[in-house]
Amino acid sequence: MQTVGQQLIITAIPALPALVFFVLALFGRLLKESAQYVAILGVTISLVFSAFALLFVAGIVPGGGAPIEFAVNWINLGAGGNFSMGVYIDGLAAVMLVVVSFVSLMIQLYSGAFMEGDKRFAWFYAVLNLFTASMLGLVLAPNFIQLYVFWELVGLCSYLLVGHWFEKPSARDAAMKAFIVTRIGDAALFVGIIIFWATTGSVAFSDISLAAQSGFIGGSLFTTAVILVFVGAVGKSAQFPFHVWLPDAMEGPTPVSALIHAATMVAAGVYLVARTYDIFVQSPTAMLTVAYIGGFTALMAATMALVKRDIKRVIAYSTVSQLGYMMLGLGIGNYTGGIFHLYNHAFFKALLFLCAGSIIYAMNSYNLFEMGGLRRRMPITFWAMVIAGLSLSGIFPFSGFWSKDSIVASAYDEHYYLLFGMALLTVFMTAFYIFRAIFLAFTGEPRTQGAREAGESPGIMTGPMMLLAFLSIVSGWVGIPPGLGIPIPDYFAEFVHPSEFAVSTLNIEEPSFSFVLAAISVVVALLGIGLAYALYVARPALAGTLASRFSWLHKFLDKGWYFDALYGATFVRFAMWLGKATRGFDRNVIGGAVSGVGRGATGTGGLLQRLQSGGVQNYALFILLSVLIIGIVVGAQYAVIVVGLIVLITAAAFAVGTRL
Amino acid sequence: MPGVPAQVQQFIDALVSAPPLEGYLVVGAFLFAIGAWGALIRRNAVVIFMCVELMINGVNLTLVAFADYLPGAGGLGVSYAVLVIAIAAAEIAVGLAIVLAVFRSRRTVNVDEVTSMRG
Repeated sequence: MQTVGQQLIITAIPALPALVFFVLALFGRLLKESAQYVAILGVTISLVFSAFALLFVAGIVPGGGAPIEFAVNWINLGAGGNFSMGVYIDGLAAVMLVVVSFVSLMIQLYSGAFMEGDKRFAWFYAVLNLFTASMLGLVLAPNFIQLYVFWELVGLCSYLLVGHWFEKPSARDAAMKAFIVTRIGDAALFVGIIIFWATTGSVAFSDISLAAQSGFIGGSLFTTAVILVFVGAVGKSAQFPFHVWLPDAMEGPTPVSALIHAATMVAAGVYLVARTYDIFVQSPTAMLTVAYIGGFTALMAATMALVKRDIKRVIAYSTVSQLGYMMLGLGIGNYTGGIFHLYNHAFFKALLFLCAGSIIYAMNSYNLFEMGGLRRRMPITFWAMVIAGLSLSGIFPFSGFWSKDSIVASAYDEHYYLLFGMALLTVFMTAFYIFRAIFLAFTGEPRTQGAREAGESPGIMTGPMMLLAFLSIVSGWVGIPPGLGIPIPDYFAEFVHPSEFAVSTLNIEEPSFSFVLAAISVVVALLGIGLAYALYVARPALAGTLASRFSWLHKFLDKGWYFDALYGATFVRFAMWLGKATRGFDRNVIGGAVSGVGRGATGTGGLLQRLQSGGVQNYALFILLSVLIIGIVVGAQYAVIVVGLIVLITAAAFAVGTRL
Repeated sequence: MPGVPAQVQQFIDALVSAPPLEGYLVVGAFLFAIGAWGALIRRNAVVIFMCVELMINGVNLTLVAFADYLPGAGGLGVSYAVLVIAIAAAEIAVGLAIVLAVFRSRRTVNVDEVTSMRG
């Protein structure tokens, strides 16, 4: 049980960056470039508090050792139920808190130099902090509704940040694409939440899990709801078939890409599946869906990354692929492995993007084929990127090795041989594409003037990079599997583990470490690096020959399997048609009705205008006739004869009058 | 009064006895109708005013007749008629001023020629 002070500290973790957002949004124009100091102060305190939460949950702080859980009533609907707003921090959430706030801090330090001179500098920092706050709030959420609120905020922030340079049409389009594509997933997630709420009467993760166990919801309805929740995760985590937004999101500033890819946004989808793991494990269909979508996405995105010319897009497809790994790990029941990969990936992927940003900062180009020979001019960036690349490829003993090996090995152990083959093929391609990028950028001769004049980035950028490089090596060492024979306990698995219920439902063995499988995956990765070396350093001409020999394949991969074209021809076209039809309906039917009423009034007015002859006697006649009509209506039963007489006289008078 | 033929006696009785209400009302209606007829067909603004006066007086006659035949009204109709007469005087004053103003600017009092308000 925690004290009120400790609860306040926990609440401050997302509240501080949110406060920074409001301060910067209000006073950003005054603060200008010094906005970064406010932001960094806020996120640093958040990081310290997150570390406190981690230590508390780990039991190092006195009184801790158990998940932190508290809530306040938020919306009370009386008999309709109520929604609470609260906090639930177990090992998973604690690790995520630290990762998110740490990566955010690194990126905010780095952005100070990268975004220098930008005209919306303070606004950039403001949204960066809102982004961090939303992700931290999402991690803390104990129920679906609270999670959904922050889920949408994360989507909004990614929209704002991807479209930060909205003067560029491509950035504008990319921002809208990111928002709309993830929106489809969000809608599915919301439907899933509604099904859960309608059937179980609760939106809390633990309640829904318990309700499903005791049979309040089951069968195909339950599977549907779980899969709908997973569709939400697919949209957010850019898995097949919603992966198309993530590469386009590269239009945003590079630090934003780092943040989206490492800690916030795309991690949210994987986190959602992990958070609701007790619900997922009760539906074997959903688990298989998760595993196969993950495995297929990992393979597909890796093939797309093979041929990209834009350094950021290579890394972007790599993220899609690695997220596929995480989903695969979760889907086959290796909960710890999936989350461990999320945790390791955060560091090396942030580092890769910061390296790419450093290159872009130095030579203002994204194109790999305009770089070359940067190794001597940017040594820190080079070594940082090599470390990140080795980690991504899963080379022993870099951090990526431990988690990737865990996932690949458990795919084999659980007899998912197809997934195992896909994962291994992905390992090969991952190593190839990332070292292709490294070799193209850093070795050989400079291909352009820009590459010849490039210089190392300032210390405020290389500092976070070095720190992340260090973590990219060592972050995996907290999860060394016991089978390896090194006398370091597997802290990560002790700390982040599936619930007992999930373990008993899945009925899988403890993942064991196998030297053979580890050796295979490392050798495969080394082969990938070797092929990249052969094609891009030893015999650069060969790569071009291969590309032209298999130009159809090259084009197919470069176009991203024509997914954009396919979606463009179907969904976008249909949406455009619908939009045009709606516009036509609005203009012709609704607009026609409105202007028809207007025209009718004008026409009637034109007719009545003739009555306004200006002649006083006509007016007098109208008055008289009107009075007569009133008289007829009121006193018809008494005075029909009298009135008839008067009408007759008046009509006669009028008849005579017109002739005179 | 003996010796007087019955028809003559009847006629004298009719003259002496109070006229019926309908008599006043018919006269008032005729006054009103003549006034309305004149107001609608005459061109001369001054004559139209005179016709309007006829209409007003037709109504006044009706009011006074009703006041006499309905004792419960407590003479309200008479006082109302007085009010109408006062108002009519004011109306004529204003109306004639308008006619004079129109005559000054247009050199005519023919209402058919004064149609600048045509829509």
